[in-house]
Amino acid sequence: MTSDILNAFVLLANFIIIPSIAYGSQLALGALGITLVYAVLRFANFAHGDTMAFGTMSTVLITWWFQSLGINFGPLPTALLAMPFAILITIAAVLFTDRTVYKFYRSKRSSPSIFVIASIGVMFVMNGLVRFIIGPNDQNFADGERFIIKARAFKKMTGLNEGLAIKVSQGLTVIIAIILVIALFWFLNRTRSGKAMRAYSDNEDLALLSGIDPERVVMLTWIITAALITIAGTLYGLDKSFKPFTYFQLLLPFFAAAIVGGIGQPVGAIVGGFVIAFSEVTITYAYRKFAMYMGPDGWQPDSLLQLLSTDYKFAVSFIILVVVLLVRPTGIVKGKVV
Amino acid sequence: MKKLLLASTVLALMATPALAADIKVGTILGFTGPIESLTPDMAASAELAFKEVNDSGLLLGGQKIVSVRGDSTCIDSAAATAVAEKQVTSDNIAAIVGADCSGVTGAIANNVAVPNGVPMISPSATSPGLTTIKDNGFFFRTSPSDARQGEVLASVLKSRGIMNVAVTYTNNDYGKGLAESFGNAFKAIGGKISISSAHEDGKADYSAEVGTLSASGAKHLAVFGYLDQGGKGIIQASLDTDAFENFILTDGMIGDALIKAIGKDLNGAFGTLPGSDSGGARAFQSMASKAGINKDGPYTGSSYDSGALIALAIQAAGSADRAAIQSKLMMVGNAPGEKILPGELAKGLEILKRGGDIDYVGATNVEFSPIGEVFGTYKEVEVKGGKFETIKVH
Amino acid sequence: MSNTLRATLSFTTMAILFVIVGYAQSWSVALVIFNLCLISSVMALGVNIQWGYAGLFNVGTMGFAALGGMATVLVSKAPIPESWAAGGSDLMIAALVAVLTIASIIFAYSRTPKGTIRNIIITIFLIVGFVLFRPFFDPAVAAIEAVNPANAGYLGGLGLPILLSWVIGGLFAAGAAWIVGKISLGLRSDYLAIATLGIAEIIIAIIKNEDWLTRGVKNVAALPRPVPYEIDLQHSEKFIGWVEWLNQSTLAAVSDADRPAIISKLVIEHSGIFVKLCYSGLFIIVLAFVFFLSVRALNSPWGRMMRAIRDNETAANAMGKNITRRHLQVFIIGSAVVGIAGAMLTTLDGQLTPGSYQPLRYTFLIWVMVIVGGSGNNLGAILGGFLIWFFWIEAEPVGVWLIDFATSWMDGSNPVRLHLMNTAQHMRLFTMGVLLLLVMRFNPGGILPEAAIRPKRQK
Repeated sequence: MTSDILNAFVLLANFIIIPSIAYGSQLALGALGITLVYAVLRFANFAHGDTMAFGTMSTVLITWWFQSLGINFGPLPTALLAMPFAILITIAAVLFTDRTVYKFYRSKRSSPSIFVIASIGVMFVMNGLVRFIIGPNDQNFADGERFIIKARAFKKMTGLNEGLAIKVSQGLTVIIAIILVIALFWFLNRTRSGKAMRAYSDNEDLALLSGIDPERVVMLTWIITAALITIAGTLYGLDKSFKPFTYFQLLLPFFAAAIVGGIGQPVGAIVGGFVIAFSEVTITYAYRKFAMYMGPDGWQPDSLLQLLSTDYKFAVSFIILVVVLLVRPTGIVKGKVV
Repeated sequence: MKKLLLASTVLALMATPALAADIKVGTILGFTGPIESLTPDMAASAELAFKEVNDSGLLLGGQKIVSVRGDSTCIDSAAATAVAEKQVTSDNIAAIVGADCSGVTGAIANNVAVPNGVPMISPSATSPGLTTIKDNGFFFRTSPSDARQGEVLASVLKSRGIMNVAVTYTNNDYGKGLAESFGNAFKAIGGKISISSAHEDGKADYSAEVGTLSASGAKHLAVFGYLDQGGKGIIQASLDTDAFENFILTDGMIGDALIKAIGKDLNGAFGTLPGSDSGGARAFQSMASKAGINKDGPYTGSSYDSGALIALAIQAAGSADRAAIQSKLMMVGNAPGEKILPGELAKGLEILKRGGDIDYVGATNVEFSPIGEVFGTYKEVEVKGGKFETIKVH
Repeated sequence: MSNTLRATLSFTTMAILFVIVGYAQSWSVALVIFNLCLISSVMALGVNIQWGYAGLFNVGTMGFAALGGMATVLVSKAPIPESWAAGGSDLMIAALVAVLTIASIIFAYSRTPKGTIRNIIITIFLIVGFVLFRPFFDPAVAAIEAVNPANAGYLGGLGLPILLSWVIGGLFAAGAAWIVGKISLGLRSDYLAIATLGIAEIIIAIIKNEDWLTRGVKNVAALPRPVPYEIDLQHSEKFIGWVEWLNQSTLAAVSDADRPAIISKLVIEHSGIFVKLCYSGLFIIVLAFVFFLSVRALNSPWGRMMRAIRDNETAANAMGKNITRRHLQVFIIGSAVVGIAGAMLTTLDGQLTPGSYQPLRYTFLIWVMVIVGGSGNNLGAILGGFLIWFFWIEAEPVGVWLIDFATSWMDGSNPVRLHLMNTAQHMRLFTMGVLLLLVMRFNPGGILPEAAIRPKRQK
């Protein structure tokens, strides 16, 4: 009886809750970068996914170097040690891109579409560059312990039918995401630079009138974005593996998460990330086993009790996006723009 | 987007000065794309056959075969057709070894090979749909149709007492075709498919798919995918969440790269792939190992056979004329005649020179049906101690 | 340099490039590239209509091209009676349910005041509709897909000539554009970009997964052709005679023994070129037609109004112009053109391969064409289509050759050299990106910039 309910809960936790939390954190971090750029620089950065690939590539290369030198981080992945250096490299790359590409259009006050097209150009460049340097194949760079708790160990411990597995990378993602979000909010709300950024984002002309240095704000935005991008990409790569093509594919869920949550609002990006992650999994999950646990003993439903087939998993994010655009275009947490 | 790769054209040009008497054969495989980790070995196997023929010096009085590599991209029909068009009309190849994936193979056959009268042998296109294309006798394959692999796999499962499986397949014509053929065959012998759903390659996260697959209640998961794409991701996610520990694999998943990526948790996984352990297969395997080719890689044997058949047909025809080659392919591949195994190509060339008949058996027991297909044999393999071992041949 | 001079120079250069390819590689290859360039130009024209006339940022061209491809199958393939018998009636009922549900939702939407009640009613209609839909739809689909899955497994088409599908493809795309436009056109431009990108993905997902419609990922091959088959030409007495006549001088110099072989080779070669030229002819007609219409529209009062709206939306709004409706018109027209191009492409391929619709190739590349060629300028879009596609294809062998040349002093097995050779193809992406950025920075109008209606003010 109670074990049935416990089993049902563990089942959900293992297949829906834990993966969604991890995936949602990854999406949230990515969407945060997008929303920041959108809020301050006022355009949708299509190069986000491939810049993430670039940042992760730097981490991977430095990790390999560290590994060859025999450096390791015990049970944690060596990539964590490599990350700070990779962040520096990515910051340099991103600032370089801004200086050579976007700055010109800012000075001309070009329309957002121009920025987006320019970011498409940057996307192509990053795309080709990453594949050129590291190749298009899958690269594994995770080391250290893989699991915090293994499913089988859990089953033994609790004697339940269903196991619960938590990977080190999932745990890391959630912890680091929480730290980053707290740090970001502290920065935006408590420091002068952060407030300057928010002011610039809310009303550019007034901010300039108050004496805020726009170039400094822009530079700070890119630096923060670069750090977020590298960390998000590395955590994602540790959890799955590094393959340049996948990062390009992540672009769309990031945008969906940012818009659904309310673009231009950091809180929105986080909410959006989790909404997208949870919906993808819950809408396509087959609840048959769950129903069997919760229902009367011995009941075996014929069908899989699935709302939408997993074939459409990818489309779920867009359907949600479209529904949000129809019903509440500013997003869940009222963002900028209509 | 998957791109054209002609790197080896340059390599081939570099390696030996192209003599006027060289015969060019196109090797069009997906060097970029879902099976890019398998195609280098396949190309190397075909080129191994060419090298053997060249070294013997017996082909048409000393002519050499030069392999012209082209990237079929496996998924972009327009690109594959463009590559084939270039090779046929600009490089003037005599025949094609290719392509690897069924969709682009059909495109190349229909748009380039058949209209231009170029014989084409595919080592790995297994879609049942290719059986009925109008090819005027110009399209052959040394890999059997998946219509058969589905039946073989079903009978393997039955013999192991597994009557309930979950199926996940990669969302393209290979995966879907195999899933359908397996589904029909398995149900016909009383098996139950608790769920059969697609997965997209190159995606971020497969936890949703795995969750749904496991909720179906089956204990065994059949993965019809690619070992360096979604198939691997699904196995990884299944092991992580302990959704499945028993995996059933097919040709696109069977390769060392998978064992390297997954590790010892893969022990006990089994599956089928075209191949055999006949004398010819073993002869090829030792040749391949010596040449640095992974002998267990799928379709290496059939690639070698494709190359060998073309070379032998050229000899039988007495020229590198495309139509002449096509007319002799059936003859050199089928009985009656002196049986030729891998490594015996010089012997075959000699017999043909004297006007005799041969029956090329090769690494995969080649015997063409009237429409240029092979019935084929399948190896049942299992992962034991970190390696794929052949259990039985069906 | 005036626009006309630039245009003449650019197109002449393109022509010369094609001739070079024809001699260096082969005429067949040159024609293959030429045909794809024609199709890309039509797509670029469609995108340019949306961007140049109305400043609409449509990044979902992939979906519209796919709809055009789908139309070729649905129009030209013969219907499959068994599938219709197996699931046709249930499918019709399911379709009826869907239509009724949508109609009732629209009814409720327009009749009830905005608020929670309306949302609740709509949600109820949706749920009821869904629950009624599934029991008819699911078994119909299963039955249809079970009919000979290896070679059919779908309903088939209408069995009409394939050229008709080009028009129908345009109509499909226009219909989808209407829906997409209604949803997303009120939004700001980059928002529109993301929305269209997402919707294109949804369209592709549907085509890939609904086997009963167009076989999904199993592909539909052997589509009927609007031009002769090479094999038929090779066996036609008239054609052979014509080839002999064309090559009299070559044949006269050949001995009698060799003649049949040489004739046969020539016939095969010529049949290929003839078929490709037929396609070129058809595509040129479509391109000319679309171009002509676009230019007429551009220079009409409607066109001037559209561009004026684009340049100063606030003023236009103040004047009472219904901007969203105008934008919708342009959006639909531009998407229809892309749909036609999609149908043309699938006809040329001879098969529908849903898996080959990738955003990079179909959407972003087209944008590079429009920007580099000349945004807002129809001739510029055509030039962009030719130029960028040509380089996209030729950059491959040329890039490899360049790298080989640059590293020829290295030993053949040098890992750096091998790595460079293997990854040379990725330079293609890199170069495209750099090209786009350079053009946008230093020549934002493109090679053939828009002819100003009046002197351009600095943006």
